[in-house]
Amino acid sequence: MFKILVEKELKSILQSPKFVATFGVCSLLILLSVFIGIQEYHSSVDQYETATQLVDQSIAEATSFFGIENTVYRKPSPMQIFVSGVSFDVGRLSKIDSREDVKLERSSYMESPLFAVFRFVDFTFIVQVVLSLFAILFTFDAINGERESGTLKLALSNPIPRGQYLFSKFVGSWLGLTVPLMIPILIGVLLLMVLNVPMTGDDWAKLVSLIGVSILYFTFFIALSLLVSSLTRRSSVSFLVLLVVWIALVLIVPRGATMAAGQLVSVPTVAENESQKDRFRTDQQQLVQERRQEAWKNRFMALEGASREEKRAYYDANKDAWDQEDREVRTEMEVKITEFNRKMNEALRNAKSEQERLAFILSRFSPSSAYQLTAMNLGGTNTSIKKRYEDQMFAYRESFSGYLKTKQEDEREERRRQAEQSGSGRRLFMFLGSGGEPVDASDMPEFIEPRESLSAVLKPSMIDFGLLSIFTVFAFAGAFIAFIRYDVR
Amino acid sequence: MFKLLLDKELREIVGTTKFAVTFGVCAVLILLAFYVGARNYDISRQDYEGAVVENLRQMEGLTDWGEIDHRIFLPPQPLAALVSGISNDIGRTVNMESRGELRAEDSRFNEDPIFAVFRFLDLEFIFTIVLSLFAILFGYDAINGEKERGTLALSFANSVPRDQYVLGKLVGSFLALVVPLMIPILIGGLMLPLLGVPMDTNSWARLAMVIVAGVLYFGVFLTLSVFISAMTQRSSSSFLMLLVVWIFIVLIIPRASVLISGQAVDVPSIDQIDYDKSKYSRQLFSERMNEMQHWIQENRDNDDHGQFMSAMQEFLGRQQDDFDAKMRVLTEKLNEQRDNKAGRQQNLALALARVSPTASFSLAAADLASTSLALRSSYMEAANSYQVAFAQFMQSKNADTQGYRFRKHGNDEVEEPEEIDLRELPEFTYRPPDASEAIGASLPDLGLLLLFNIVFFAGAFVAFLKYDVR
Repeated sequence: MFKILVEKELKSILQSPKFVATFGVCSLLILLSVFIGIQEYHSSVDQYETATQLVDQSIAEATSFFGIENTVYRKPSPMQIFVSGVSFDVGRLSKIDSREDVKLERSSYMESPLFAVFRFVDFTFIVQVVLSLFAILFTFDAINGERESGTLKLALSNPIPRGQYLFSKFVGSWLGLTVPLMIPILIGVLLLMVLNVPMTGDDWAKLVSLIGVSILYFTFFIALSLLVSSLTRRSSVSFLVLLVVWIALVLIVPRGATMAAGQLVSVPTVAENESQKDRFRTDQQQLVQERRQEAWKNRFMALEGASREEKRAYYDANKDAWDQEDREVRTEMEVKITEFNRKMNEALRNAKSEQERLAFILSRFSPSSAYQLTAMNLGGTNTSIKKRYEDQMFAYRESFSGYLKTKQEDEREERRRQAEQSGSGRRLFMFLGSGGEPVDASDMPEFIEPRESLSAVLKPSMIDFGLLSIFTVFAFAGAFIAFIRYDVR
Repeated sequence: MFKLLLDKELREIVGTTKFAVTFGVCAVLILLAFYVGARNYDISRQDYEGAVVENLRQMEGLTDWGEIDHRIFLPPQPLAALVSGISNDIGRTVNMESRGELRAEDSRFNEDPIFAVFRFLDLEFIFTIVLSLFAILFGYDAINGEKERGTLALSFANSVPRDQYVLGKLVGSFLALVVPLMIPILIGGLMLPLLGVPMDTNSWARLAMVIVAGVLYFGVFLTLSVFISAMTQRSSSSFLMLLVVWIFIVLIIPRASVLISGQAVDVPSIDQIDYDKSKYSRQLFSERMNEMQHWIQENRDNDDHGQFMSAMQEFLGRQQDDFDAKMRVLTEKLNEQRDNKAGRQQNLALALARVSPTASFSLAAADLASTSLALRSSYMEAANSYQVAFAQFMQSKNADTQGYRFRKHGNDEVEEPEEIDLRELPEFTYRPPDASEAIGASLPDLGLLLLFNIVFFAGAFVAFLKYDVR
């Protein structure tokens, strides 16, 4: 009996013109998004490669280690075809310079704002917005529609348990909607291979998980529609209710949560942060100044009434020790200031991540944002992309500037020797890289992209995966209870 | 008769639960958008003011104008809160130098990518996505729904002219939906000054035009729905068709057009231009160094130190000016080439996108709120003209942000340096284009929206005249 019911459900879905039309649109959208995503990916890889080549070239052409400018670019990842996330919003590059902070700047959207006008439609967006609507469109009248057409009474006049009937509805619509959708998805995956997208084993695993989560998200909307359909008497009402719920879940809760978190957790502005740091520095400097004056007063106290020569001798004898003392005080102050600055920066970053955490917790009330967050996590295009890259670039800066320093020392030494040999008196401009052969920078340390291990990516996704499962189970359980008590007449 | 039909249509829409629910949702959303927008504006304004104060404060106590590290910032636009446009994507901070090319950095989404995750819930978003759906939801069965219920045949049993009937339908549903929507919009608009958004007449005019554009956009979807409803026999098929059309108009066409133009017109990357510039500058630099060494070789016999230094200053100054001029020529050439190509790409993209009324509305709204693509160029223009004033000022102070510190040292004695007075620094103000200019820029899009309205209206009219009412 169960099989017959599933079969009937499948037939009623697959044979409707409604299905043909919407399925066509969805397939087209998915394929289009993957195709465009691949094109975009290739062009950003081209851009990345040209940019890094240009940096290499400019280093190779440099005639002095004092004139080397290094820039590191963020490498596009093939997963951004499916989940663009914030990858176009976060800066593409950072200068690597010992005097400047590492900071990702110049995002793609900033450089070509034209593309920011109407954002990018990726696979995740289509699943999140279009396919969820698609699920609602086919199941909003699953129960009450049958009641309206009188077939519900008819079906239940056979010896079928209500639970089984509902379950067969669920399984039938799930199969009828998910299996066809796998076709464009699989073709999209095939496109990846045909169009030479370099996917690593990890990438494939992430992609498979992404598709799995997408199906789970889709399933949630089927269960939700069943729930609403068995709670209402008329299909027009259930459609309306579902549309309102859909708007709230997909459009409002995620955005509202970010706004609410922005209001609840106050993050000090960068300007506030800077002025606090400056105030601390001034206070410390004043303190050190006072201490020094005090020390000098004490030092000369012992010589009250001594002659000028004695003072001079006393000063000469102790000068080095006192200088040493003063230096120590100053070093101590510098350490304190550095420590304070580090703390302030950390506090700012913590406040920001606290805000982010709250925003994400609040937004996870909506399965839609749980889905989006986990998709971005799987795609490696979530907000932490910035921190990941900046940390790695910071470490690289250390090794790069160490390398540069030793090279510059060598070069200075070399030039000095040359200058002495040629007997030129004015050495002022000798090491500024005027003319000469290009330097050999082939042993320069290379930047390695931050790599997230698969398990590190999958673990946080488990929360959202679990959350989506719970949402789905609850929706189905609710539908079950509602249907048991449903008046089929 | 027309009045009667209108009356019936009004009652039919406003009296339903469907209307109450969707209207409630839309009203909440609109009010939320205004509230959130105003709060957002407040935060951006605080950030901006803090940054300006901080910029001045970190220069306090300096004694040499050459040491200052001056930045200018893009002030938030009041209406950006409602129509964010590209205001969160473009750089806001410009590091001011007395010479050389300026560049804006630190876009909001780059600084706080969390806001980029779900984007903002602004009025423009609500109009484009939610209200267009709302229009479809009420218009999809305007004609064929009546037929299905049998009321259409009934109505025409009376002596009702068809044109009056369809006119009554269109006007009635338009009034029934738009007038109620005006309530939350007006409340929201009035909330703005209360929430601390400074609204002058200019901003009010802009906001009013944004709302006009929104109403036109809403009208496009309403007339389109009635049109499709009058072309189909069953309401379920018209709904489906409208949903497909909606997905295309709202989601696909605008984005696809940008991508197509991206493929069609190749714009050189900024990296390439940077490379060309730095290569040229390095080449010039090494030429300069050679010249300098040459000069030193020639003048090394000069024993008068003072005279030597002042001659060298003059030489270096000449060299620097020459360098600046050459670099400016190259930079201008490269930038112009890129701007031309980017302009062509943009024109193509926007022309294609305007097939969709959603794109027309978005572009018109962004123009009106001065958050369109023109924002970046007008900000950079303002920054560039400020640079001229800044350079003049720095010259009057005999300072240069890019070194040549030893220019100042002559043979005069060292005296206790005085602190600089930051109040002397020229002030940077960014003025967005006037409301009249913004409205002028949005007129083509408004015209397009009107055209869509007329076409769909006429379509609905003609289709209904031939409609089989049985």
